[in-house]
Amino acid sequence: VRQVLIDCGAENTLAVQISGPSGVCIGANEFDRVLAFEDLATAGAFMVFDESRDMFEVAHNFAHFFAHESCGFCTPCRVGTAMLKATMDKIAAGHGTQYDLREIDQLNHILLQSAHCGLGHTACNPTLDTLKRFRPTYERRLKSLDFEPAFDLDGALATARRMTGRDDAGAHLKTETES
Amino acid sequence: MSETFQLDGKDIPFAPGQTVLQAALSAGHYIPHLCYHPEFKPHGSCKVCTVKIGGRTAASCTLPAQSGLKVESNSEEMNALRHTLVQMLFAEGNHFCPSCEKSGNCALQALGSDLGVMTAGFRHFYPDRPVDASHPDILLDFNRCILCELCVRASCEVDEKCVFALSGRGITKHLVVNATSGKLADTDIALTDKAMQVCPVGVILKKRVGFAVPIGQRRYDQRPISAQALDDAPRPPTGSGVCQACEE
Repeated sequence: VRQVLIDCGAENTLAVQISGPSGVCIGANEFDRVLAFEDLATAGAFMVFDESRDMFEVAHNFAHFFAHESCGFCTPCRVGTAMLKATMDKIAAGHGTQYDLREIDQLNHILLQSAHCGLGHTACNPTLDTLKRFRPTYERRLKSLDFEPAFDLDGALATARRMTGRDDAGAHLKTETES
Repeated sequence: MSETFQLDGKDIPFAPGQTVLQAALSAGHYIPHLCYHPEFKPHGSCKVCTVKIGGRTAASCTLPAQSGLKVESNSEEMNALRHTLVQMLFAEGNHFCPSCEKSGNCALQALGSDLGVMTAGFRHFYPDRPVDASHPDILLDFNRCILCELCVRASCEVDEKCVFALSGRGITKHLVVNATSGKLADTDIALTDKAMQVCPVGVILKKRVGFAVPIGQRRYDQRPISAQALDDAPRPPTGSGVCQACEE
């Protein structure tokens, strides 16, 4: 891997995603690994990310990619990739907790066991790989709480506010961040 | 039928061409399933019938039975997987059992009850799926659809009308009606069609017969779904299997 990076003139490399989103994501301490069937199998894809990149955002993007690519035939992939996307959105929005990281693990287990094809089997790979190697980028987005609902109580009242034409302070719920 | 495979340590005889699920059901052994129907070709999409064979997992409804297979089905691991898959289906659609006409006759509800599903466990998707009440005698409540394609298969293979189809992809996949207007009223579906009888949940409903059988006396109120394995043993389809409408 190091040789390929030198040959293509990559600088300040943070991570390399090998074999596309379904493949393996490695960090700088693993650049001496070998591109080979026995180690890092590659389908020809080699994506280089430098230190300006946020690997959570990369994985977040890949989660959207898999949800979009799922054909919807089998239950685990159709629902699972949409759940992974929603969970990554929740973490990105700053509402993530340890509970969500455990839920990603559970989704991965379900998809590996029961998805109909390789897309579902590997849909959690980029998330799990980046979680393993770049955990701080996830953790600084997490709330310290064990669980935080993604449901926005005040947001849910928007329809009622629109219907009654009200938007004063009394028509809003106080959220934790405001109080 | 001299050949057998093992299901949870018991010998199951099978006929050539049978799948693991078909052979198990024929022998009166239950493997949880949803999108399988005794009269149609296995579909393999719901994945509830997933079993373990030699460390690998596979949907037993599409897995050909082979002599000497060692199949593990009623294990904590497989039932936990089925539990989560049923939870996923509950989270995906809009399922309100207490007010549903199909309550007690619903395979999804019965399966959930059997597997001990008490909550959806995941965040609900609350999809927006308007009902189709255009037909004078039939109501379509898409909120409850689990995309098993049973009505699609029944309408095509038995009724030879191809009234239903699945459209879209990923989480936006949904059941559609094959008419230019997209409305059921503009199809030639009839109350006597096979497609009217196969919905495992409460999507395809006959109008004006709500709650004819009281809750408490319905199919799965009498006996749990797991005790009704023999009812799902394969039987020949009532139709020709060749659709005149789509020539498939």
